[in-house]
Amino acid sequence: MDNQNKLWRVALYAVLVYAAVYYLLPLYIMATTSVKSMDEIRAGNLIALPMSITFDAWGKAWATACTGVECGGLSRYFWNSVQMVIPAVLISTTLGAINGYVLSKWRFRGSELTFALILFGVFIPFQVVLLPMAQTLGWFGMARSVAGLVFVHVVFGIASTTLFFRNYYVGIPDELIKAARLDGAGFWRIFFKVVLPMSTPIVMVVLIWQFTQIWNDFLFGVVFSSGDSQPITVGLNNLANTSTSVKEYNVDMAAAIIAALPTIIVYVLAGKYFVRGLTAGAVKG
Amino acid sequence: MTSYNGPAQYGFAERWLPRLVLAPSFLLTLVFVYGFILWNGYLSFTTSRLLPNYEWAGLAQYTTLFANERWWVAVKNLFIFGSLFIGGAMAVGIFLAVLLDQKVRQEGALRTLYLYPMALSFIVTGTAWKWMLNPGLGLEKLVQDWGFTNFTFDWLVNPDMSIYTVVIAGIWQSSGFVMALFLAGLRGIDDSIIKAAQIDGASLPRIYWKIVLPALRPVFFSTLMILAHIAIKSFDLVMALTGGGPGFSSDVPATFMYSTAFTRGQMGVGAASAMMMLMTVAAIVVPYLYSELRGSRNG
Amino acid sequence: MGALAIKNVTKSFGDTHILKGIDIHIEAGEFLILVGPSGCGKSTLMNIIAGLEAPTTGEVHIGERIVNNVAPKDRDIAMVFQSYALYPTMNVRKNIAFGMETRGVPKKEQDEIIARVSKMLQIDHLLDRKPGQLSGGQRQRVAMGRALARDPKLFLFDEPLSNLDAKLRVEMRTEIKQLHHRLKTTIVYVTHDQIEAMTLGDKIAVMKDGIIQQFGSPEEIYERPSNLFVAGFIGSPSMNFVECHLAEQGGEYGVSLQSEGDARFVALPNGARLADRIGQKVILGVRPEQIEVAEEGEPGLACKVHLTEPTGPDTMIFTQVNGKEVVARVHPRAARHPGETMRLKLDMGKVVLFDPQTELRLV
Repeated sequence: MDNQNKLWRVALYAVLVYAAVYYLLPLYIMATTSVKSMDEIRAGNLIALPMSITFDAWGKAWATACTGVECGGLSRYFWNSVQMVIPAVLISTTLGAINGYVLSKWRFRGSELTFALILFGVFIPFQVVLLPMAQTLGWFGMARSVAGLVFVHVVFGIASTTLFFRNYYVGIPDELIKAARLDGAGFWRIFFKVVLPMSTPIVMVVLIWQFTQIWNDFLFGVVFSSGDSQPITVGLNNLANTSTSVKEYNVDMAAAIIAALPTIIVYVLAGKYFVRGLTAGAVKG
Repeated sequence: MTSYNGPAQYGFAERWLPRLVLAPSFLLTLVFVYGFILWNGYLSFTTSRLLPNYEWAGLAQYTTLFANERWWVAVKNLFIFGSLFIGGAMAVGIFLAVLLDQKVRQEGALRTLYLYPMALSFIVTGTAWKWMLNPGLGLEKLVQDWGFTNFTFDWLVNPDMSIYTVVIAGIWQSSGFVMALFLAGLRGIDDSIIKAAQIDGASLPRIYWKIVLPALRPVFFSTLMILAHIAIKSFDLVMALTGGGPGFSSDVPATFMYSTAFTRGQMGVGAASAMMMLMTVAAIVVPYLYSELRGSRNG
Repeated sequence: MGALAIKNVTKSFGDTHILKGIDIHIEAGEFLILVGPSGCGKSTLMNIIAGLEAPTTGEVHIGERIVNNVAPKDRDIAMVFQSYALYPTMNVRKNIAFGMETRGVPKKEQDEIIARVSKMLQIDHLLDRKPGQLSGGQRQRVAMGRALARDPKLFLFDEPLSNLDAKLRVEMRTEIKQLHHRLKTTIVYVTHDQIEAMTLGDKIAVMKDGIIQQFGSPEEIYERPSNLFVAGFIGSPSMNFVECHLAEQGGEYGVSLQSEGDARFVALPNGARLADRIGQKVILGVRPEQIEVAEEGEPGLACKVHLTEPTGPDTMIFTQVNGKEVVARVHPRAARHPGETMRLKLDMGKVVLFDPQTELRLV
């Protein structure tokens, strides 16, 4: 390896490490700020390591911080999000799997058009459905409830889950379905015995994708819920933007980490599927 | 006579089950996407204010919308935010992808670090950057503590600059995503092309600029689509970072629509602004989808 | 008793006509080959027999029944696919058992059948493996095992050997033939490979452009091809086609052949039948092995050797007759070197004549 080449490798790694610092710094600042006391925050600076570690801010963010008029911390919002995300993810994923199966392996006249119609739903700006949806949820008595949020997330999640499964199932050879039909298996038996057992990777991708999307959603949360049905993102935003008394940045940061923790954990445990989901939507095949 | 190119289906179950199974999703889409778009469109032609009413108002709400200074600030901000966010995320992402493609040690770990912001909610990102960019205790104070006592960084509370803080946070969150897309694209390129160019004596930057990146045109367009889409839909980040403020200086159409329709009791104007957003997205997405679907049918 | 009858089957997608009126009839125990170049419609026809696609018009009979409206699973057929279509998440045993489970065959019977079939195909040591752990040839056997376990009235093979390497393909071909002899089953076998067609089939249907060009035994198709396409498609190396004029000379009917530096008139046996075509252009078809080296004193056409291709048992001689390249298959010892001259003669009892306009065979 000649000198010029060596220099180039050193520069390369320097830039890459610098970039890593750039992405990590906010997380580092969030974490250190959350364990500092407000006095230390005022006295010290942004990137200084904490001199004494205290978890008071975490306790406050979880249980007693004020989000608007109420002062019960984020715990309530957190559990709302959990109650919302589990059924919404499971239902939208199930529907997507079945839709994708039909749209790739049981095509009928008009199924391609149906797919195109569903697909467009991936792209619409949701602002355009907010007003009618608010009305409709009211009629069905689901306004401002976790059930209403679940419904909204399922309806508008179908487009992407269907797209994911359909694109994956297109890659399963049709001959496999033909063989199963000759073996006497019908629509459901082929799905459960042949197709579904081959679907583990895409099921993982979609579960994680939907979990991240729904957990992180703010728009539907802020529009279709209120008071005791609001999800964590709304709680965090209320907490961080409450203008009463003194700003407690350590509590804000602890709250932000609490809100981010579930998706970060999923990312760390199953990052492979997360990345695959992100790229699958954009790069064909 | 059948002209339908698909598997033969026998009996009630095979013939109708697929349609039956697809029907709920199809109906939900029909009602809650297409039906609601029409409904919202209709609302935008009514006199609805605090509550919906269906008294025809023609284009009155659109006239109000277009006469509203705040709407034009929002549109201008979307333009600023959109172009800088897309350009910035693209540049950073492609740059990092090319660097990571140089057979780097610990590539997996670096990739993981670059991409994790994508797993965060925009609300979390906004809250974090709001803290870091706040003039009193954040970045400004840090640099001043380092001895640059004249340093000021007050973009967050400066009406002329607040939209740029959204750009900064947006690029931080999404550039890793661009990196992932392009890295996947780079990995899909036939190695022998690069080897052939090296044998021809082309330098590495030249190979990337002239051969590799042009081959990634499809990835480029997909990424552009996705980023444009994120930009137009951007709501959470602005809400968490600036709340549209100071004043309404960092409003974007998404926050404008929300506040007019839900907090300021101008439902008709809100509906009209939503229609404008839809049309903008459709103008970008429909040609793209058309070419994609047509392409896949030929392929 | 007929095992399979296809009556005037057509298949169209809009204005695209894939099959244009197919008629086929085979008896129980016969081995039918559908052969033709890709895009000829053979796979569509196979899918129609299986019931995986519906014909636009026409009838399909399996045994005594019309099966147009019978689902694939109820047609009493089994199919071996080109890609084998083994269920990737099931092991070999499950793959074979899947159909029987679906049909509700008692567990004990299933085990017996799996044991018998896997022994017959020598895959009994692979039963617990997944398809991903098998070689191409082993997958092929499993796919056949799955079909055999069904014990159907009709076996369908859709290009089953085309994913195997050359050596394995020859081995499996022999095994399929032996299997057919042993089990006396009725088989429909799709291939684009004319050697497979010739070696395996009792009946061959040569297809092109959605039409059956010729339907008959391998011998019929080889010796009396009904048109230029069939003549050229079946046989390797291909039949030679030489343009010539029908003429009469000394009370005999025949054609004149011209090589580089020699010319002679060769008489056709039964040439009198062509009396009304005297003076017209015809295409003479002669297979490479129907060209022989003329013995000393025998009449022969002196031909210049352009190129030789030794294959081992035979040597191919490339030369020119009537301006066309002609290949002759001769004994290696009789072959001359390029540039030299050989005296060749045609086996006029076996050559065939075609009308250049209609491309149909004349005698």
